[in-house]
Amino acid sequence: MENEIRNRNEGRNRSDNSNRSDSSNRSDDSGMAMYWYWICNLPKITNSKIKRLLDCFGSPDEVFREDLKDLGKMGILKEEDIRRIEDSRRGWDLAQEYGEFCKLGMEFVHIGDDRYPERLRSLADRPYCLYVKGRLPEDIKPAVSIVGARACSEYGRRMAEEYGRELAASGVQIISGLARGIDGASHKGALLAGGSTFAVLGCGTDICYPEEHKRLYEDIPERGGIISEYPPGTMPLPYLFPARNRIISGLADIVLVIEAREKSGSLITADQALEQGHDVFALPGRVTDKLSCGCNRLIKQGAGIATSPADILAEFSLECKKNNENYIKTTNSLAKEENLVYSCLGLQPKNLDEILTEVKADIQQVLHVLLNLELKGYIEEISKNYYIIKR
Amino acid sequence: MYSRVYSAAVRGIESCQIQVEADVSDGMPSFDMVGYLGTEVREARERVKTALRNSGIVIPAKRITINLSPSDVRKEGASFDLPIAAAVLASLGFVPQSSLDDTMIIGELSLDGSIRAVNGILSIVDAAKKLGFRYCAVPKENAGEGAVISGIDVIGVGTVDDLIAFLNDRNSILPEFINIEEIFQDSYKIYESDFDEVNGQQSVKRATEVAVAGLHNILYIGPPGSGKTMIAKRIPTILPDLTLEESLEISKIYSIQGLLPKESSLILKRPFRAPHHTITPIALCGGGRIPHPGEISLADRGVLFLDELPEFTKSTLEIMRQPLEEHEVNISRLSGVYTYPANFMLVAAMNPCSCGYYPDRDRCSCSQHDVGRYLSRISQPLMDRIDICVEAPRVDYAEIAGVRKNENSAEIRRRVSRAHEIQKIRYEGTRFRFNSDLTAAGVKKYCPLGDEEEKLMEQIFGKMGLSARAYHRILKVARTIADLEGIDNITVRNLSEAACYRSTDRN
Repeated sequence: MENEIRNRNEGRNRSDNSNRSDSSNRSDDSGMAMYWYWICNLPKITNSKIKRLLDCFGSPDEVFREDLKDLGKMGILKEEDIRRIEDSRRGWDLAQEYGEFCKLGMEFVHIGDDRYPERLRSLADRPYCLYVKGRLPEDIKPAVSIVGARACSEYGRRMAEEYGRELAASGVQIISGLARGIDGASHKGALLAGGSTFAVLGCGTDICYPEEHKRLYEDIPERGGIISEYPPGTMPLPYLFPARNRIISGLADIVLVIEAREKSGSLITADQALEQGHDVFALPGRVTDKLSCGCNRLIKQGAGIATSPADILAEFSLECKKNNENYIKTTNSLAKEENLVYSCLGLQPKNLDEILTEVKADIQQVLHVLLNLELKGYIEEISKNYYIIKR
Repeated sequence: MYSRVYSAAVRGIESCQIQVEADVSDGMPSFDMVGYLGTEVREARERVKTALRNSGIVIPAKRITINLSPSDVRKEGASFDLPIAAAVLASLGFVPQSSLDDTMIIGELSLDGSIRAVNGILSIVDAAKKLGFRYCAVPKENAGEGAVISGIDVIGVGTVDDLIAFLNDRNSILPEFINIEEIFQDSYKIYESDFDEVNGQQSVKRATEVAVAGLHNILYIGPPGSGKTMIAKRIPTILPDLTLEESLEISKIYSIQGLLPKESSLILKRPFRAPHHTITPIALCGGGRIPHPGEISLADRGVLFLDELPEFTKSTLEIMRQPLEEHEVNISRLSGVYTYPANFMLVAAMNPCSCGYYPDRDRCSCSQHDVGRYLSRISQPLMDRIDICVEAPRVDYAEIAGVRKNENSAEIRRRVSRAHEIQKIRYEGTRFRFNSDLTAAGVKKYCPLGDEEEKLMEQIFGKMGLSARAYHRILKVARTIADLEGIDNITVRNLSEAACYRSTDRN
């Protein structure tokens, strides 16, 4: 029976590919989607249970129709799960429920759909469906996931933005998780470059979490997509987030870790990437910085060292569009004192007193120079009297 | 027989005259008191009767009526014991009425006939002088406090007998005398701390000097243990010395609260008040059923230091907004409006985030969001009243342990005093006292900019997204920096320094 179904599916896929505009095929497609939508929205039925059901019946419409009584006896599903499924079958109007979802303006992409990302298909624990606001990453284009700490340093934030910007400018799709810190910065960088970027959420795609990334949440669907395996309305619960990490790493060819503490969720993502057979790159940091501990350990274990976006682009045999050197501002136009102050600043925030001790000029002079540099766009005051250079 | 004694009641920091009348007549023996009296005043009946008896005076079995007028002023406190006793004595013929007419009498009685100290003497003696009294009889313990007012003889009485003796013979007790000049001479070396004890923190010290020079409110942001409190505590030492009028104003407030130090009859140091962040709005700004001055009035002419600013409750902080503008607190009660001065410099300190170490990411794990939320606990209207904001960085070992010659308070005070002098001359005849008082119109008038400066300001305004208020704050601070340098026109350097002290505006 399974073989039969598989043949049927393949047959449909083929016809889909040959003639996408064929209306009868489309309706059949949406017909199948209704069943997938149903099976993915069954209460308390996890991915592994769906997998067992599909192993038995082949496709969700069969699950909808077949008698499930025997499953309990065979120990494949628990009695209460079977009861849940049967209850749901009675109360669920396939066309109406799916129709209501369609009104939300989101895409529903199930594993049988040919829009389903090829990169995810190979995962052992692949999601059966994805809810998408915007679009999904393209299989033919390279994709890089940028992950890292939420409470990141200014250095990490700048770097995430720079990698996001540079990679996206060269046509790489940037995948991340819309979280605070590194995630947000890499999305922002990609958007700045006008590239495409995708956010994988741990909640329904209709919920913006965290709230302060509302702007990104609204901008991303225009240049990429917001993706989640959880149905709309799912609240951002802590236990949902580790699972979405496998999608973040799964959707990409390379995972880049910008900043991670010794014990960090980003390291889990990196581990998953390795399991999935993807390359992992890490941004090196000072060995004394706790936020770079995780990255440095990854490097020790053999991860690629990302010293510039070009290192990652080289993996795809892509050239860096803009020479990175150009981004370091030339100091030629600066006056002598300005150069003195500028050269003692870096991406690590430095406070006024440290600058004063290094420059050895009087405070009024230094403040004057700092303000000038800030006005010229060379440096930035990130917290009260803490300065970093701007790239 | 009828008699009349003058006394006074403290309202706000001023005092108003109260007349105590007594009448002794035939009839059912009684001791009645009328005149809108508080509980403490009504209880005076027992104290007066017993104290007089214990002083050897026999109160005849007659009908005694006491009236305190004006009857629309609520009389509170125990300071009417002595005038009531004096009125009774006069109507019984123990003292002549004539000697009561030019004497104001204040004091609380003990049952044994001794007289106890009361609060608010300074204000009362001041009022007595203004009302034209020749003598003011006050408790012996308070005599030194009252004596700082010149032009009136302050008589310290220890017992009821003393009072009787004085009223019968004006020469029996000599008026208290205090050499104010001498006290003021000694007042210089009284601060225990000095700025030369502060190592490092150059930028904070400079910002503090600027703040003090223009009496701008200042906010220190920095991790725990970076010396915010240490520097704040030393601000009074670089403020110019108190003048006699200022000292009297402060002393009056302290006198009302009974906080004057035992050994001194005047407050000679600039006050430094550092209330804990659990303080209630009323304790901070004054109030209560019977209004009393709050911490902001106790910090009058000095420094109000609020450590851990975001930990104060919102209502406590917001209530300061009006006093910060008007330099006084008005408290309305059914019985009238009480006004307390609140001419303080606000010095606040806070951590950059709830753990205190941002942006040191090795120690701080607060998210950007948390940091923003921590800062936003202080409302924008309050932030708008803080002209200078500076970061106090963590001090490293070399600076703590190092022996370095630091500038001492006297040197800084000399520069500050000069800046104050310049402002005093500039604002002669206006309602401004210091650069920090300038209004938008005042800024326009007193902070003119040259072409180059104008251009820089325009750049700063555009680049940093300033609000109109922030723009004015920068100009006011720049004016102060120019005053410190003793120059007439604000320069580009003054402006850029001021711009770096701008408070963190949140977007």
